[in-house]
Amino acid sequence: MPASSPSADVLRGTLDLLILKTLALEPMHGWGISQRIQHVSKGVLDVNQGSLYPALQRLEQRGWVGSDWRTTMNNRRAKYYRLTTSGRRALGEETASWRRYVSTVELILGTP
Amino acid sequence: MMPFERIRLRLRAALRRRAADRELDEEIRFHLEREQEKNVSAGMSDTDAWRRAYVSFGGVQQVREAHREVRGVPWLADLTSDVRVALRALVRRPALAGAAVITLALGIGANTAIFSAVDAAILRPLPFPDAGRLVMLGENNPEFNWHMESVAGANYLDWKEQVGAFQDIAAYTSGTGHGTLTGAGDPQLLTLQAVTGNFFTVLGGRAELGRGFVDDETWDTTHATIVLSDHAWRTHFGADPGVVGRTIHVDGRPTQVIGVMAADFTFPSSTVDAWYTQRWDRASRTEVWFRRAHWLRAIARLKPGVSVDEANAAFQVVVRRLQQQYPVTNRIMGAGMVPLHTYLVGDTRTALLVLLAASGLLLLIACANVGNLMLVHANGRAPEVALRLALGAGPWRLTRQVLTESLVLSSLGGAAGFALAWLGTRAITLLAPARTLPDSGVHIDWSVLAYTLAITTACGVLFGIGPALWSARRAPGDALKEGGRGRHQGQRMRRWGEALAVAEIALALMLLSGAGVLVRSLWRLAHVPPGFDPRRVLAVGLELPQARYDTTPKVNAFDDALLARARGLRGVTDAAIVSHLPLTGTEWTSSFSIAGRRPGEYGSEVAHREVGPDYFRLMREPLYAGRTFNVSDRDRSPKVVLINDVLARRFFAGQNPIGQRLTFNKVPDSSSVWGTIVGVVGSEHQISLAAEPRIEIFTPQAEDPSGDIYLMVRTTGDPMALLPHLRSILHDIDPEQAIVETHTLDEIVATSMARARFLTTLLLVFAAVGLALAVVGVYGVMAQLAQRRTREMGIRLALGAPARAVRWLIVRHALGMLVPGLVIGTVAALLATQALRSVLYHVAPTDPVTFVAVPLTLALSALVASWLPAAQASRADPAQALHVE
Repeated sequence: MPASSPSADVLRGTLDLLILKTLALEPMHGWGISQRIQHVSKGVLDVNQGSLYPALQRLEQRGWVGSDWRTTMNNRRAKYYRLTTSGRRALGEETASWRRYVSTVELILGTP
Repeated sequence: MMPFERIRLRLRAALRRRAADRELDEEIRFHLEREQEKNVSAGMSDTDAWRRAYVSFGGVQQVREAHREVRGVPWLADLTSDVRVALRALVRRPALAGAAVITLALGIGANTAIFSAVDAAILRPLPFPDAGRLVMLGENNPEFNWHMESVAGANYLDWKEQVGAFQDIAAYTSGTGHGTLTGAGDPQLLTLQAVTGNFFTVLGGRAELGRGFVDDETWDTTHATIVLSDHAWRTHFGADPGVVGRTIHVDGRPTQVIGVMAADFTFPSSTVDAWYTQRWDRASRTEVWFRRAHWLRAIARLKPGVSVDEANAAFQVVVRRLQQQYPVTNRIMGAGMVPLHTYLVGDTRTALLVLLAASGLLLLIACANVGNLMLVHANGRAPEVALRLALGAGPWRLTRQVLTESLVLSSLGGAAGFALAWLGTRAITLLAPARTLPDSGVHIDWSVLAYTLAITTACGVLFGIGPALWSARRAPGDALKEGGRGRHQGQRMRRWGEALAVAEIALALMLLSGAGVLVRSLWRLAHVPPGFDPRRVLAVGLELPQARYDTTPKVNAFDDALLARARGLRGVTDAAIVSHLPLTGTEWTSSFSIAGRRPGEYGSEVAHREVGPDYFRLMREPLYAGRTFNVSDRDRSPKVVLINDVLARRFFAGQNPIGQRLTFNKVPDSSSVWGTIVGVVGSEHQISLAAEPRIEIFTPQAEDPSGDIYLMVRTTGDPMALLPHLRSILHDIDPEQAIVETHTLDEIVATSMARARFLTTLLLVFAAVGLALAVVGVYGVMAQLAQRRTREMGIRLALGAPARAVRWLIVRHALGMLVPGLVIGTVAALLATQALRSVLYHVAPTDPVTFVAVPLTLALSALVASWLPAAQASRADPAQALHVE
């Protein structure tokens, strides 16, 4: 297990948000989500890929994410996750709340 | 999502844990394979790519745990997994699990069945509103050794008017009567109960049709009214609501039905068909007999807020005042009160509590036995437990696993026991003598179910706690070394097993001793000569109604006709009439005095019965002096009486009683009627086999005949075969007369021992099962010991030790458990059997025969149980034994 960097710690708290954002584009399997997050963050957010799965389970239990088994393009079985309607609503709320949080921190850091 | 939906999902996930685990594993595999492919395409070797994929995934096991954590209700998941593991472990050892479940089922079943009887007879409240405020009043007379006896009418009325602490007092006649219902098809016999007008009000009984009586109706001698029980209303009147207000004929007298009681009101007995009022004449209040005769049972309802003690204090003031006011009848007449519930439970309480305690001992033996089985089980699993400990499983988790296992086991035993208890209650209901259990019967209800659950859980904890605690306490290293080889139990576990065996021996000894003294007591009781020969005698009870048999000649004509016809029946050798049967405790009692002696020399209560000619010959009783009655005694003046030899010995020792005179007054006066003793006859046990024969005076039946009689016939064949013939004779003589009761004397004798036999039989069954379990338990411990020491035995044998010495080693070990078990058990049993004192007949609770025979039996059984494994060990082939691992 790689030593956790501060950035990774922050990510852990916001992993749910990142997953929701990723799934907002299209239904995807677990590995796909991990690749996407890594790719889009340009490798900065390099976390344990495994931690994705409990997070997905949590989101599914909240009803924000649905899942079903499908066949991939290479003809293999994989579990695909998709955003539900309430997930889409939650994404909006979570994003707004995240922005508020970031701007507040910005504000504090900005004051001399 | 709704919270409910979420819970449902979580529960389902928790229950479908295995499926969810599989799904996650597939997802993880897919992920790792894709990652590996990516790494390979980036130029890594297969192995490197796989390793790299693994590393960047993080710990697979941690992800699984985290996933489960999110997914399920953790304790529930643990519980279901524990239960599943436990079931699997039990299924793997079906013999062990089966033995444990059967053992527990026996213990729990016996305990639950007895508890349901205790619940029905003792714990359940009486079916009256605010029943806690009802008390039974009774009269106490130290001279006659009376305690809570029936009350005199005048005393009852004075209490009712003078004791302010009571809201009211009701009274009913002690014993029921019978009446013949005519005018609606065949004559039908009704069981009747005479009560005071306030009877229903005081008890809180509700009429479902019409009304109950009112207080004033106690004194109504002009209108005959009756209140039906729900049962009689349904069986005799087809549940016709129009019956209220109708006039029916009871013993030929027109009687108006004024109400029908609700089905739950059956006091004082469910056999009562109808209640009628006392119909006392106001003039009798001032007569002496009204304060001298005792025939009422009085029930008081306390005023709200008045305690039993306060009420009793107020009551005693009135009782003392009456003693001074009426010295002739009340000089030493005391009175007492007992809560109605306590009074009605009566002697049953001791018997049932003894049985509950006995079934509790049996359950403890069962628990100890299963505790030992669990040790064997734990021993078998030691390697697995050691491995789990070494791999970092928490000790609490393991403890919980073992405890779950014992609870699963006890639940299975509890379920089987509950089924057994259901059968048991049926058996108890069938076996229990009359009036031991309440009319409503014994049922399995919620409180019984709760009780079973409680004892089942307690058992599970009790026999599981030892293995549960120790299995986890062992240091993993030690456990692996020892347990890995599966040869040794921990020292503590071994000690626990032996302690259980000691406990089993001690408990079994207690049970067996209890059963032992009871058997000795029953044996003594069964060998008590009742004072008569009960074989082949039929007794038929008749109640000639006062209305139609209002004169002595009418009754005598009926009796004479009946006897003449009965004597003519084929097989009948004797026929006679008597007022009360022996062994039933129903005879009259009175004070008496002997002519020429000062009062005070003989302040005793005497039994009194009326007998016809031939009674003593029929009963095969000896005539010690003089003669018995003959037909002409009915008109003789002066009157003649017979006494039994107990009276003769006590009051005429060294004198000839024949020709002496007696009267039924304690202080004779000019109105006393004297009778001359013409004979001394044998003594019957009047009350029961256990009670010594009382002094008794007999008067000729025909002199002042009672309408309540028993016709007795002795026959050469089956006495019950006479019944149809007697019935047709009766129909010829008086077609309106029904037979009230029918008994054989053998049955009367058996009934007298019924309660003792019931208690003894059940206790004996418990003791036998307890002994069997204890012996099996000792065998189990010894078999384990022998197995554990096989290697040692092999070495000893190889080195030339004789087989006898090897066997002795094992048996000596058994003695090490047997001796403390016997000592502890004997001491505990000596204390425990004291509780039986009140139900024992002529046997001490510390009966030496029992306390020699029982420990010997137990010692012998235990030695046989340990001899078998010892013998096996001594036959061990040294070469093989050394290879045993």
